[in-house]
Amino acid sequence: MRSIWLIAVAVFKESVRDRVPYAMVVFAILLMAASYLIGQMTAGQDMKIIKDLGLAALAIFGLFIAVFIGIGLVSKEVDKKSVFGLLSKPISRAQFILGKYAGLVMTLVVNLGVMTIAYYVVLYYIYLNSSAGIRASWPAPAVDPHLLIAIGLILAELMLVTAIALFFSTFSSPLLATLLTLGLWVAGHFNADLRNFETVTDSAPAVALARALYYLLPNLAPFDVKTEVVYGIAVSMRHVAYTLAYAAVYVATLLTAAVAIFRRRDFK
Amino acid sequence: MPAAIETEGLTKDYLVGFWRPRPSRALDALTLQVEAGEVFGFLGPNGAGKSTAIKLLMQLIYPTSGHARILGRPVGDVEVRRRIGFLAENPYYYDYLTAEELLSYFARLFGYSGADATARVSRVLDQVGLAGHRRMRLRQLSKGLLQRVGLAQALINDPEVIFLDEPMSGLDPLGRRQVRDLILTLRERGCTVFFSSHILSDAETLCSRVGIMVQGRLVASGRVSDMIAFERKGWELVVANASDETVRALGSRAPRVTPIGHGRFTIHLGPELQPEAIIAELRATGATLVSLNPVHETLEDYFVQQVQAAKARGM
Amino acid sequence: MTATADSRPNNRPLYAAIALLLAASFAVQVVRDRGWAPFVPPTPTMWLQSGAAASRLALSFDSLAADVYWMRAVVYYGGKRLESAKAGASASAINFDLLYPLLDLVTSLDPHFKVAYRFGAIFLTEAYPSGPGRPDQAIALLQRGIAQDASRWEYMEDIGFVYYWWLHDFKQAAAWFNRASELPGAPAWLAPLAATTLAEGGDRQSSRFLWTQLQQNSDINWVKQNAALRLQQLAAMDMIDELNRRTARFVASHGRPPHDWREFASAENLRGIPPDPNGEPYSLDPATGHVDLGPTSTLRPLPWEPAAVKPPS
Repeated sequence: MRSIWLIAVAVFKESVRDRVPYAMVVFAILLMAASYLIGQMTAGQDMKIIKDLGLAALAIFGLFIAVFIGIGLVSKEVDKKSVFGLLSKPISRAQFILGKYAGLVMTLVVNLGVMTIAYYVVLYYIYLNSSAGIRASWPAPAVDPHLLIAIGLILAELMLVTAIALFFSTFSSPLLATLLTLGLWVAGHFNADLRNFETVTDSAPAVALARALYYLLPNLAPFDVKTEVVYGIAVSMRHVAYTLAYAAVYVATLLTAAVAIFRRRDFK
Repeated sequence: MPAAIETEGLTKDYLVGFWRPRPSRALDALTLQVEAGEVFGFLGPNGAGKSTAIKLLMQLIYPTSGHARILGRPVGDVEVRRRIGFLAENPYYYDYLTAEELLSYFARLFGYSGADATARVSRVLDQVGLAGHRRMRLRQLSKGLLQRVGLAQALINDPEVIFLDEPMSGLDPLGRRQVRDLILTLRERGCTVFFSSHILSDAETLCSRVGIMVQGRLVASGRVSDMIAFERKGWELVVANASDETVRALGSRAPRVTPIGHGRFTIHLGPELQPEAIIAELRATGATLVSLNPVHETLEDYFVQQVQAAKARGM
Repeated sequence: MTATADSRPNNRPLYAAIALLLAASFAVQVVRDRGWAPFVPPTPTMWLQSGAAASRLALSFDSLAADVYWMRAVVYYGGKRLESAKAGASASAINFDLLYPLLDLVTSLDPHFKVAYRFGAIFLTEAYPSGPGRPDQAIALLQRGIAQDASRWEYMEDIGFVYYWWLHDFKQAAAWFNRASELPGAPAWLAPLAATTLAEGGDRQSSRFLWTQLQQNSDINWVKQNAALRLQQLAAMDMIDELNRRTARFVASHGRPPHDWREFASAENLRGIPPDPNGEPYSLDPATGHVDLGPTSTLRPLPWEPAAVKPPS
């Protein structure tokens, strides 16, 4: 366990000093600030647009960070042979994988945390500069704690994506792993449509295949409660709990698979 | 007392080709033993399987067949890695950590902590001559300095056995000398050193035993002194202020003469001759003696012999 | 040297764990999906409303973008139909607002996407709750198609249809059928159709003729199916008229409408309750003797006919 923690801390240090995640966070914050300006142009719809843009920025830049760091810290390491340094130490390959994942998650949490704080600062600023009349027209308060539910689910989704990136890193080159991870992310968001395939087609084998794929591929659509939160509609805690449980189980599956592959690999 | 390193029939095949992969043998039934405290030189041309053997011993790759043990334990044993060190060829670590941070990280992975870890890090940085660069990020270090970082991390746990894959590669002469001195220090401490190289002169001076690999097979192994006859093969004479006629006058006694320019010549003499007579002759014509060196058979000669013989055997 | 543990590690326990965890993920999803489903606003946001903007954004992949939006349009329409079928009476929140913008995008990105125009012609005009009921949008879409490609007699024919069936403007309908018939490749029946429309517009026979032609000559499945549905409706209307004449006769002879079908059937010597072309029995109102489609008939709503309809002789 100690080894896993040591590896995680090293991963965190590496990625925090890497320029790309840093740039992503800066871009996200800039976008949120810019959304304030954009909001001025939309005649009263500004709060919705600002909230939408902010959450979207969190999700997209968070995704870039997750994929970039996830691939960079394992696939690149295998590619450039720096993995030899760690693997010659008294740690098991399983500890290596788990340590890397823990470090990536720590990085994600910190980056997302910074972006969330910036987000709330922007929202608070808008709140301060709006009259009581405008405030009454909002479906949900400006500095809405419910936004944290959406952000929490975004974090869970990104932890899943990071696990996917780690999994592909154990056997593919950095470029291929990146493409596969992004591809699976896109597929994961269209996954929900697969469930209702029987309404679009008559062919029974196609429906069966669609169902199977729905369960097998990561289903990322339920992590998206941005619309509800922005409209001020309550999100069922049962849904959140089950979605988090799904994330945990799926991550465990991916990590186990990653360990299985990594254990038997030759590092030429 | 078990051997420090033992292999028995260690073989590695790689599958080559995309459509119909066929096995290509990188290492063929390697069987050798290295006793504790020895410095073993693992020599061979590029692609001979030296790196493959070391990676098998570090369990970075898995053998197709055969076994290997380090300090009496199977190579798969995670605990035995506490007592060994490893330097990979062209090492690369982490761009954004400093040398100090990397070594501290590895020290803690070995189980050292706190003041003990810090002390070890400082000691090992001094040992490889990196004390001045300890706070630099690894991506800013030159290849030579990075190689030293690699050495440092291999030494941090005071290993009983240390594996070095091409430790001299990329080093300037100063760096090479430092590595040589380091290996000698380790030998004095009783550490078993297993290193691969294709710079044979180093092996000659450092190793108690060597093994020569050609195309995946161990074609020769044993003490250096057993391989080289140490017979004198002849003399090498360097003279100045000589002229072409005087040198030509030596005739068949000097089978090989190389003019260096400006009246200097390198003259190779056969082993039967007494060089003093030749020198006297040349001095009589006004030439001066610059140097006189006996020429021995070197490990390189032996090596080239073995490689050619192996090729002749149709390997 | 004895055998040592240095060969590749056995992963079998890990594979078992993976299978178990995957099964667990299925189970969690199944349980979760039984509960709350994410909120879908009545009109989902369509970020790109303008065809021109979409064209620019699609770079050189216009055709592909058109295909993607086409699929979206089809799935959108199908989904909304299902929703309104499920919701039944409380279908007030369901609207088809995005159908026209989607089809507009498709045809802007790929002006020769024939199927999109024809899909629009049929489904944009469908009356609520089967569609948005916007014949004007359908005509606009089709006219853009003609502007792109003036040789497309199918679009003109479709416009004629919309005027005939939904807007009941028989002069316009005939004019468009005529225009269509003059184009090379137009089928032979368009000219007589134009004449019939002009002369008898709204007549059930000409309508039947129209739909039969479509059903027989179209190569697109849902066009055929739509035509078949119309023909069934016309057949039902014929049957309803006949039944109404007979109930009128009953009223004349008995002084009151029949109590129920059984009384009527025995009086008229019928073999049983007459079914509509889909097998649903017709309904009889004992208060007025008026026959109509059964309440659960899938042929509802029946098409409108001008007041001066000539009963078939």
